[in-house]
Amino acid sequence: MRTEPAPFRTIDARDWLPPEPMEAVLAALPELDPGRELVLLLYREPFPLYRVLEARGFVHRTVLHPDGTFAIHVRRA
Amino acid sequence: MIGALSFEQAPPLWVPLRFFLTAPWFLCAAGLLLAVDGAHVVAGGRWGPGAVAAVHLVTAGYMLQVMAGALLQFMPVAAGANVWRPRLTGGVAHAGFTAGGAALVAGFLWVGVPALQAATVLMGGAGAFYVVVLARGLAASPAIGPTLRGLRFAVFGLAVTVALGVALASVFGFGVALPLAELVPVHAAWGLAGWALTLLAAVAWLVVPMFQLTPPYPPRFAFAFPLAVCGVVLGWTAAVFLRTPAVAIAVAAAGTLVVGAFGGATLRLQGQRKRRVTDATLECWRAGMAALCAAAVLFPIPLAVTDAALRGRLEWLAGVLVLGAFVAVIQGMLHKIVPFLVWLHLRSVMAVPPTMQKVLPDARARPQSRLLLASILVLALAAAWPPLAHLGGVLLAVAAAWGGALLVGAARFHHRLAQSPSASPDDTGRSAR
Repeated sequence: MRTEPAPFRTIDARDWLPPEPMEAVLAALPELDPGRELVLLLYREPFPLYRVLEARGFVHRTVLHPDGTFAIHVRRA
Repeated sequence: MIGALSFEQAPPLWVPLRFFLTAPWFLCAAGLLLAVDGAHVVAGGRWGPGAVAAVHLVTAGYMLQVMAGALLQFMPVAAGANVWRPRLTGGVAHAGFTAGGAALVAGFLWVGVPALQAATVLMGGAGAFYVVVLARGLAASPAIGPTLRGLRFAVFGLAVTVALGVALASVFGFGVALPLAELVPVHAAWGLAGWALTLLAAVAWLVVPMFQLTPPYPPRFAFAFPLAVCGVVLGWTAAVFLRTPAVAIAVAAAGTLVVGAFGGATLRLQGQRKRRVTDATLECWRAGMAALCAAAVLFPIPLAVTDAALRGRLEWLAGVLVLGAFVAVIQGMLHKIVPFLVWLHLRSVMAVPPTMQKVLPDARARPQSRLLLASILVLALAAAWPPLAHLGGVLLAVAAAWGGALLVGAARFHHRLAQSPSASPDDTGRSAR
C-alpha cells in the first residue's frame, strides 16, 4: 500500500494575485525535505509552476476538490 | 525571486500581439459603417448587406482576431497545452484571418463574387489549419479542470462555425446550391454560442477568480456548461432544419437559462470579490455580463413576434447586446492581457521591469472602455430610434481607434525598453500616449 508523504507546509494562495503563489512556493522549496510534501491551494492549475518544478527536480500531484480548490502536492523527485 | 521564474513556454510577444493590434481596426470599420449607414442598416434587418458586413467586422474581424491570438498565449498557461510552432501557427492564422475577414466584408459590401471566393479560401484554409493545431495541443493536455473541457468544446464549435461559414460563402462565391435560410441561423448559433461563448466561459473559469479574487465557479457547473451550450446549439440546429418554430422557441428559451446562468453566476461571483479595486477590466466584465443576461432574455421573443418591423427591431437589440457583451469583455481583457504580456517579456531584459500600471495606466484605459460601453448602449437604443445608430457608429469607431492606439502605445513601450533597458519607463510612458 502506498503511503502518503508527511505534509511539510500548506500554502493557501487562493486569494493571492499572481505571481505571489509561485514566489511563495519557490521560496519554500529549498526547505522541503525528501519524503515530505508541500501543498499549494489555488483556484486554478498552475502550469507555469509545474514547468519550474520539473526543471528543479520536483514532482507534483494535483487534486480538484468539490469546492473548486486545486490542491497541488509537491515533493522531491 | 521574480527573475528566477521560468516562462520559456510563453510564445514571443509578437505572436499574440499582432492579432491584438489588428483587431481594433475591424471594430473601428464596423463603427464607420454604422456611422455612415446606421439607420439604413437597422431598417434593412439582419439580411441586409450592411448588417451582414457589420456583424462580420465584429465577429470574423474583431472577436476572432483577439480570441485566436489570446488562445496561443492562453493554452500553454491555462491548460498545459503546447501550440505547435506558435510563430508559424500565429503567422498563418493572422494572415488568413486578416485578409479573409477583409475580403469577406468587401465581398458583402462592394466587390461581390471574387472577394467572397477569396474569403472562402482564406478563412476556410486558415480556420482549418488553426483548428487542427489547437485540437492537437488540447488532445495532449494533462489538465484536470473545467477550463480544458471548455476549450475543447470551443475549438469544436469553431470548427463547425468555419465549416458552415465556408458553406455559406460558397453559396455566394461559387454558386453552390445550399439551404441559405437554414444555414445562416445555424452558423450564427455555432459561432456565437458554440465557439465564442464557450471560449469566454472557459477563460472565465480561470481569470475571474485569478484576477478579481472571487470564489471559484462551482466545478459541477463549470464542467456542465459547455455540454449544455452544445446541447442547446444542437437542438437549435435540429429545430431550424426541421422547420419546427415551436421547438425553436423552446430551444431559445433553454438558451436563455443557460446563458443567463453563466452571466448571473459571473456577476454574483464578482459581487463577492476580495480585490475591492475597480478597474477598466472589471467594469467591462460587469457591463458585458449584464448585456449578455439582457440578450439572453430577448432570445426567444423575436421568434414569437409576427410583425416583421417589430421583429427586426428586437433582433437588432438582441444582436447589439450579445455582440456588445463580447466586445466589452474582450476590451476589458485586452486592458489586462497586453500590459501583463509586456511586463512578462520585459523581465527577460530587465531585473525590475515597470509595473503593468506603467505600461497602460487604468486612468487611460478606463475612459476608452467607458466610451466603448457608451457606444454599445447608444447602438442598442437605436432599436427604438434607428437614426441613433449613426451616433453609436461614430462613438464605436472613435472608441475602437482609441483602444487600438492604446495597444500601439503599449507595444512601443515594450519596444523602447527592450531596445534600451536603461531608459526611463516614465519617458517611454509619455511617448506611448
